[in-house]
Amino acid sequence: MNKPTGSEIRVASPLKAWASRFALLLLVGAAFGLMLIGRTNTLLVEDTRSAVTDMVTPILDAVSQPVDTFSGVIEQAESFTRLSAENQLLKEQNARLLQWQAVARRLEAENAALRTLNNMVPDPAMSFITARVVGDPGGAFVRTVLINAGDRNGVEKGQAAITGDGLAGRVAEVGQRSARVLLLTDINSRVPVVVGNGRDRAVLAGDNTNAPELLYLGPTAKVQVGDRVTTSGHGGVFPPGLPIGVVSGVSDKGIRVRPFVDWSHMEVLRIVDYEMTGIIDFEAQVGAARAAAAAGGEPASGSANAQ
Amino acid sequence: MRQEEGLWHRLDVVARSISPFFVTLLLVLFSLVPLRIADLSPIVPALALIGVFFWSVHRPDLMPIWAVFIIGFVQDLLTGSVLGPGIVGLLAVHALVVWQHRFFLAASFAVIWCAFMLVAAASLAVTWLLTCIAMTAYVDPAPLFFQYLVTTAFYPCLAWAFLRGQRLFQQR
Repeated sequence: MNKPTGSEIRVASPLKAWASRFALLLLVGAAFGLMLIGRTNTLLVEDTRSAVTDMVTPILDAVSQPVDTFSGVIEQAESFTRLSAENQLLKEQNARLLQWQAVARRLEAENAALRTLNNMVPDPAMSFITARVVGDPGGAFVRTVLINAGDRNGVEKGQAAITGDGLAGRVAEVGQRSARVLLLTDINSRVPVVVGNGRDRAVLAGDNTNAPELLYLGPTAKVQVGDRVTTSGHGGVFPPGLPIGVVSGVSDKGIRVRPFVDWSHMEVLRIVDYEMTGIIDFEAQVGAARAAAAAGGEPASGSANAQ
Repeated sequence: MRQEEGLWHRLDVVARSISPFFVTLLLVLFSLVPLRIADLSPIVPALALIGVFFWSVHRPDLMPIWAVFIIGFVQDLLTGSVLGPGIVGLLAVHALVVWQHRFFLAASFAVIWCAFMLVAAASLAVTWLLTCIAMTAYVDPAPLFFQYLVTTAFYPCLAWAFLRGQRLFQQR
């Protein structure tokens, strides 16, 4: 190759500098454009995100398995060291739980009897989809995890994701074989809840810290540290009564809740299929049923029961 | 036979020239693997930032600006945060390094590490500011600060691995 002459270099360098500056401006502009698209056309961004997530999930699935095995081995080794103390603790807990079981059986029977007396509409059936947590993006801006189950496994947007301890979050995006779960602690998470024995309604709002905040609590509500927080079932997205956590702090700045879920050991999530179609679909269905009734001259009450 | 050698040689050249891009993409993927360590998740090191900085300094020809854009795009899509701020953050890293490329030519490792601290701080600050604007919410910057510390502490380990990899390639 011929070496460039001095004049060629003199012309080429500023040109090159201009081209690189132009490319930088163009790409920064494109990034801002993407930000705008993210605000205005969320569906497009969600679809792209799901497609990319679907592509990498098999890799993440394969890589996260040895990590899980390794952390499992360490956990086991740790538990060996405190075996006898743990055994004692479990015996005591078992005795206590047996008492609670007797109480629960009695209450269940009583509850069933009272429900039949009042002709109460039974709760929709629940089924579960179990999925492994294969990705945890981390960072300061989001609290989400990726699971290795998606549309083809029956996962749908809005479904609750639980662990053995309690509610972890809800499904925010669904791909073919992967889904993204928005955790309770994420800044975008809002969950309708009831608090304590008074069953005061509130909304649990995440703010990217480990202790989400209780919002919109009524002025008469009395909340104490240690009160249990469970899902209320309002909005028809989550089943009522899923345990979430306990109130960990009450101050002028707000009421904080400590979730039951152990975030660092969340290896498997159960996605709750509540077979209820959320408040938006429900309204649409009621509207459609009314329109049909008006057209056909039949009463609309029958279709509501069919729900 | 000669032609075959030429083909292998060309494949080798292509593989070397795209490896920084793919290694950085792999880093994005790797940072998603759940490590099951308590409270580590919010402060995992920003591995892509390290990759983009390292190759913008040492092999700017193999880390062109469009590659930086794609890495940022994939990272923003996979982490699930707002699309855009992460891209601008990485582009800022690349732009700052290219702007001062003469300074990096003669710099020692320690000086480059110090420069990384400044560049990473600028990049994460830009990302934080744009994320707050895009989400129209105030995101607590405290975890970001710890993420910054972990990232700068992690830089020498990763840079050492990259340098070893580069030397291995050159020896062959």
